Amino acid sequence: MDNDRSDLHIMRLRGRRLALRYLLLAGAAVLFLAPLYWMIASSLKPEYDVFARPPIWWPSPPRWQNYVEALTKLPFGRYAVNTLIIAVFSVVGYTLSCTVVAYGFARLRAPGKDTLFVLMLATLMLPYPVVMIPQYVIFSELDLVNTFWPLILPAFLGSPFYIFLLRQFFMQIPPDLEDAARIDGANLGQILWYIMLPLARPAMATVAIFSFQFAWNDFLAPLIYLQDQSKYTLMLGLSFFRSSFQVNWAYLMAASLTVALPVIILFFIAQREFIEGITLGGVKQ
Amino acid sequence: MHMTRARRREALAFYLCISPWLIGFIFLTVGPMLYSLYISFTRWDLLTDPVWVGLRNYTVKMPNDERFWQSLKVTVLFTLAYVPLELIGGLALALLVQSRIRGIRLFRTIFYLPTVLAGVAFVVVWLWMLDPRGGLVNLILARFGVVGPRWLLDPDWALSALIMMSFWGWGRAMVIYLAGLQAIPGELYEAAAIDGASGWTRFWRVTIPLLTPTIFFNLILSIISTFQSFTNAFVATNGGPLDSTLFYVLYLYKQAFEFRAMGYASALAWVLFVIILALTLVVLRSQRFWVFYAGERSDG
Amino acid sequence: MKHNTVRLLLAASLVLLVALSACYAPATPATAPEPAAGEEPAAEEPGTVILRAGTGDSGEGLNPHQSIIADFEDQNPGILVQLEAIAGRDYYTRILTQIAADRAPDVMNIGDDAVPSFVSTGAFLPLDECLASLDFDPSVYLPGLLDPGTVDGQLYFLPKDYSTLAVYYNKAIFDAAGVPYPEDGWTWDDLLTTAQALTQDTDGDGQTDIYGIQLPANWTTGFEYWVAAAGGSLISEDGASYVGYMDSPEAIRAAQFYADLYNEYAVAPPPADLSAFGGGNSDFDTGKAAMRIFGRWPQAGMLENPNIDLGVVGTPSDAVEANILFWGGFGIASTTEHPAEACKFLSYYAGPEAAKTWKDWALPAAIEVAESPEVAGDPFNAVWIDELGKLKPRAYTFTPFWNETADPALRKALETILIDPTADVAAVMQQAAQEAQSALDELLAEQGG
Repeated sequence: MDNDRSDLHIMRLRGRRLALRYLLLAGAAVLFLAPLYWMIASSLKPEYDVFARPPIWWPSPPRWQNYVEALTKLPFGRYAVNTLIIAVFSVVGYTLSCTVVAYGFARLRAPGKDTLFVLMLATLMLPYPVVMIPQYVIFSELDLVNTFWPLILPAFLGSPFYIFLLRQFFMQIPPDLEDAARIDGANLGQILWYIMLPLARPAMATVAIFSFQFAWNDFLAPLIYLQDQSKYTLMLGLSFFRSSFQVNWAYLMAASLTVALPVIILFFIAQREFIEGITLGGVKQ
Repeated sequence: MHMTRARRREALAFYLCISPWLIGFIFLTVGPMLYSLYISFTRWDLLTDPVWVGLRNYTVKMPNDERFWQSLKVTVLFTLAYVPLELIGGLALALLVQSRIRGIRLFRTIFYLPTVLAGVAFVVVWLWMLDPRGGLVNLILARFGVVGPRWLLDPDWALSALIMMSFWGWGRAMVIYLAGLQAIPGELYEAAAIDGASGWTRFWRVTIPLLTPTIFFNLILSIISTFQSFTNAFVATNGGPLDSTLFYVLYLYKQAFEFRAMGYASALAWVLFVIILALTLVVLRSQRFWVFYAGERSDG
Repeated sequence: MKHNTVRLLLAASLVLLVALSACYAPATPATAPEPAAGEEPAAEEPGTVILRAGTGDSGEGLNPHQSIIADFEDQNPGILVQLEAIAGRDYYTRILTQIAADRAPDVMNIGDDAVPSFVSTGAFLPLDECLASLDFDPSVYLPGLLDPGTVDGQLYFLPKDYSTLAVYYNKAIFDAAGVPYPEDGWTWDDLLTTAQALTQDTDGDGQTDIYGIQLPANWTTGFEYWVAAAGGSLISEDGASYVGYMDSPEAIRAAQFYADLYNEYAVAPPPADLSAFGGGNSDFDTGKAAMRIFGRWPQAGMLENPNIDLGVVGTPSDAVEANILFWGGFGIASTTEHPAEACKFLSYYAGPEAAKTWKDWALPAAIEVAESPEVAGDPFNAVWIDELGKLKPRAYTFTPFWNETADPALRKALETILIDPTADVAAVMQQAAQEAQSALDELLAEQGG
């Protein structure tokens, strides 16, 4: 049933329209893949060939050992585990906390709400480098430096970006379902759990993907909070390929690609959730 | 204010809901923000204690600082150019990949890919591609008989190059649009189709109006984040050549950690804050003119 | 009523969640990491002192750190050393943040140009006392190598590694063009004629395929050599004036020659990337440039590069013989809680014993190692070490404000003359001097009142 309805508003594409669609997709894809192609090609070259002029379009033979060498120079396995821990906590924390907070901003009326909303957005407007040090001092006083806590704790306290996203999403949904439920005597918790959560799945999945990626790619916070190398994340590990005076490009490309792979795979698999997810065809008057 | 019991309960529920954020705000955010405001009235080299200088950073140092004005100009130009492009580009991509045709999941991943790869390695790839002497871009242009500019080595082109590089980051906006598109009830399209509306009309009369909350979101976030652009310039050009890509936050970072003038950097941060806040408030105010919330509750 | 109960429960669970997170024992909530080769997650034992050592080295450059630390720990049970390494610019961001929060590592590795400001703000301990207590004799180092770590007569840092500039050359290209190798004592004119002889268009397409010399673009520090060799200085000795120095005839001559190599004579390949350290060119590495002037850091990679048959020679002279020193050293943070142990570690880390390990990675600072047959016998090392005799003082030694006043102005000047062949070099340098001067004046005014 749902499939029919969603397909309908996404018009069945046939014939010329289908061909045109594929043409556009292919064209855009080539553009978007161009940098990736160069990264992969570079990662398979010996270091001194990476910037050869005229450029070597594809190395022969491709130096697959670059990947093994790059990833074994440092304990990337451990870095991956560290990053995964932080990322998973981030995802759980952000999705749960932000959904609840967003619901409040979207649906509940209260004095001071608009001011708080603007205040919340305002916290995004001050560049991180200047709040970095006072926040560091706070965590330092709490003796939480050189642990994962400064990287995980904020997840459970929401993030304006995701809260805003979910709030917009909630506000796009007609309140009919909730009103009906309220009339039937449902309370806040029940409404949240049984009605809003299922409806919010596409947006929550989006938040999940974004927060995972952010945790995976974060550099500045791990830089200052993680001191001993056994706790380093993947991004810190990648920075090792860039020493002050020279960079090992082939290794850096190989390692960067490998590090990005989990997020890419996650996106590929999870897109079902936030793109082909539940449509709201079920809302009846 | 006189509130009914029901309203009071609702208000309580609201504060309960937002408590996670509120707690974080009070304990982890407000303090540091106010502290940085205090620091902006000092001179602080991070190694010794801050020294009070009053309004000097704002009234003397900043107006006379040529690089401050330059960085502001660079950032405003960049934002004016990039924000509309991202809004439209992200939507175009989202519409392109919304269909459920074969292989579409692959395409979506491809468009999202650059946002995942963003980082030093990715930017460096661009440095190569934009190499005037043999990079991909100029080679392709040469095929068409066009002599490509020197891109990141040319003060007149470097900013445009960075704008161009940022297109590859449209994947984020695309994903958000996709989620927003999902929230549009399918039956509205049904009804429109039954009434004889063409695809184009359906787009303008159904999709866009119902998508306005998402567009609004992307607009605000784009303004806030584009004004604070940092990484690409930090890695690709370090502000050059000739400060033509000296983004505001990059300059701020330099002041803080390379020149160790954290007081001045904090002042710069607060000026940026005011600018972004002002713009955001304007957009927020404009909401009622163009943003349509299906779930709007009229206050009874 | 149902409403209140549920809301109460919700509130309680939220509070509990936050409380749990905040009150959880401040330890790593992770599976215990198994130590990988050379890495030391600190193991807590009663009485064990844990020292934290920060460095900006990275990648393979960490190997000597780790093996030296391992040796030190073997010899000193009861002291564990935790190495905190992060590359490049980010290292300074990290330690500045840590120092600001009173959480600095006990021992830190910093570069020479950071010494004056860190020392003047009391971030490091003077070493005389601690070294005396260990009977450590600082004369074990090559002459001149303690200077960058000494401020106002007090020693604060022990040398870790150093480099000067030198000219690398690719014998293969020289042989193919029939040009004799450059020899010590050569001049700028020799450099020019050699480079011109080597710059060729090998395939007749009108574009240069091989360049004479790869220069480091807008690298301001490297430019100090050119000014010094022309007999000038970028700043007055009292550190108060750029005007009259940065735009002196010598400095202009240096800038003009530098720019001419790029534009007029076209013997230097155009810069590839103005943000990269040293211009980002890869011409020398890919065998498309015959010479390169730079520090010793990439030498190991060049030796393994099949495109290059490597030779090294000292810098050419102009009015005078000149070279500049790049230096990194170790010091003890003034906030350390274990000064005695830190001192012990420092003297080992930078001492002659560890120098035997360092020598495989960088030029050795200890005389004993530098004069050992292995090191002295290496033809390359001999060149680098000899250059130490030509040193001229670095600009930062005259003012702690070099970085924020002169560096941006000079960088802009270099970029201008590189990008715009028609630029009037004298005018550009004058402008740079003015900009640097006003930045300096503003800073001094700020400090004064």
